[in-house]
Amino acid sequence: MKTSTKYSILFVAILILISCSKDDDNPVANNVTLHFNNTFKNTTIVLGDATSSTATANTSAEGQVHHFSELKYVISNIRLVKADGSEIPYNISDLDKGATVVDHSKAQTLDYVLTNIPVGEYRQLKFGLGVKPELNTLDEARFPNFYAEAGANDTKMHWEWGTGYRFTKIEGFYDTDHKQLSIHTGSTVEGTNGEPDTYTQGVDAYRDITLTLPDNAVVGRNAPRITINADFDKLLSGKTNTITLGAGNATPSIHTAANMVLFVDNLGGNGPSDISGMFSVSSVEN
Amino acid sequence: MKKVFLILSILLLLLSCNREDIIEPMPYDNPEIPLDIPLGFPQLNSSVDGNRPTKYGVELGEKLFHEKKFSGNNTISCSSCHNRSSAFADNNVQAIGIHGRVGLRNTPPIQNLAFMKFYNWDGNKLTLESQPLVPIITQEEMNSSIMEVIGKLRNGGEYRELFRKAFGDENITPDRIYRSIAQYEYTLISANSKYDKVKRNEGEAFTESEARGYQVFQQKCESCHSTELFTDQSFRNVGFPPNTSTEEAGRARVTGIPADYMSFRVPSLRNAEYTAPYGSFGQFPTLKAVLDYFDNGVLDADNLDPILKENGNRILLIEQEKEDIISFIKTLSDSTFVGK
Repeated sequence: MKTSTKYSILFVAILILISCSKDDDNPVANNVTLHFNNTFKNTTIVLGDATSSTATANTSAEGQVHHFSELKYVISNIRLVKADGSEIPYNISDLDKGATVVDHSKAQTLDYVLTNIPVGEYRQLKFGLGVKPELNTLDEARFPNFYAEAGANDTKMHWEWGTGYRFTKIEGFYDTDHKQLSIHTGSTVEGTNGEPDTYTQGVDAYRDITLTLPDNAVVGRNAPRITINADFDKLLSGKTNTITLGAGNATPSIHTAANMVLFVDNLGGNGPSDISGMFSVSSVEN
Repeated sequence: MKKVFLILSILLLLLSCNREDIIEPMPYDNPEIPLDIPLGFPQLNSSVDGNRPTKYGVELGEKLFHEKKFSGNNTISCSSCHNRSSAFADNNVQAIGIHGRVGLRNTPPIQNLAFMKFYNWDGNKLTLESQPLVPIITQEEMNSSIMEVIGKLRNGGEYRELFRKAFGDENITPDRIYRSIAQYEYTLISANSKYDKVKRNEGEAFTESEARGYQVFQQKCESCHSTELFTDQSFRNVGFPPNTSTEEAGRARVTGIPADYMSFRVPSLRNAEYTAPYGSFGQFPTLKAVLDYFDNGVLDADNLDPILKENGNRILLIEQEKEDIISFIKTLSDSTFVGK
């Protein structure tokens, strides 16, 4: 009897010690916060209506002054790449847990917290601007939370006629007389782009972004915060296309696949020669 | 101990008896409905093979087609715009949905869709099963969501039995809704017009005007309105007055290809008599107005259909020819299909 009591005490003591050491010294996972800073060049954007005096005005390469009243985009398919090259996918097949709408008018949407990221050093961040084709079906039964978040009355990121999500929604004004601009992007693709066996029609507006971090993000006892700049100066003055709205090479209202790819390639890169588009990482706080 | 055992045994017996009483009802025999493919019709859309109409699938689909719970405020069903007496189209210029909201385009008829490769004016849908979600969520149409619809259907009770008959159990799922509506639509085949009866030598004959109209039609219309569907299912810009909504780009809305700008699917002419007005957003009140427009000359465009370009952007027609063509088009009216 006595011996067994001793063993019991020892056992409990060991258990306590083990549990203590786990909590305090060696976490197996922690959060990573993605902070989205939407800018024109280096200035964080302030939204405003047509005649707003406080809205951030930007001038395009072709000399068109413009500002925004609304600015939203969808981020999904997030992956973190470790220093050794291995990729940690973050709920990439679950829009409810792995996708978000960044809405510049709602401060809380500018931070997206990735939970339970395995401890380690990460050197690259990958994500999608938009939703990859296989998940872009407005499937409310499968992803009720993201469907509701994107479809809310003050968000309107459902592309109804295409039964997919809007990937970006930009409303604003251009030229000195504040003509309206309204640029929506989304996919209409059926099958897989570039695969003749499956592709039937449409445009894939999803863009995969790869960003190398200026410093490794170290997930451990600390939860890193990665600041991603989304420079909307690129909308009209991008790496791929220089756009003039109105009588130039694009209409100021993009609500269909027509003319849309000019903007998509500027915002999300054209794939082959540009895999970052308007995005860059300005800082990593460990 | 023995008594306890006895009581237990009796209880067990009773329980097992109960169980047998509430045995699942026998599954319904739900036979496939054969599609009678009219002579000379093109091949079925390949998705029909994966969703063959069944007796109870079609019954359920027809009921759902007329179900106003599909709209946010229970006022609009599919049949609100797709009205049988108008060949499952309507006679509004542009579709009118919830709260009287006006849609982008003219309601297309629902007929012979099992034989179509593209759906909607711009062909954005390639299967009927993927189509119903569009009107359900579109704010100018039903302004609802599929889970909202399912919630209402579950509350009703009557639908559980209908889903069980059609699909084997009571689960009401998005997929089953889409599939049953598509099954119903597959059965909406119109091929019993005067034209069909003449072609099948069933004792009917064209009048002189109809016969002349058929001649002119073959010369001046048939290059686009071809096959027994009276559409070649191509997309063409025929220089009609354009819809100025920024939401409209025709086929280019889907493809993003400049050459597809303001091109629309060539509409079938079957039952055209019942589907006025005409054009992608109802530009023309009558068939005569369409023919007058072609005769007078259409709007030029870089991607104007080559056949029109070769003919000076018009289809020359004298008044007699127009009258005769209209007489011929009316032979494509299938009164049994529209229930008249």
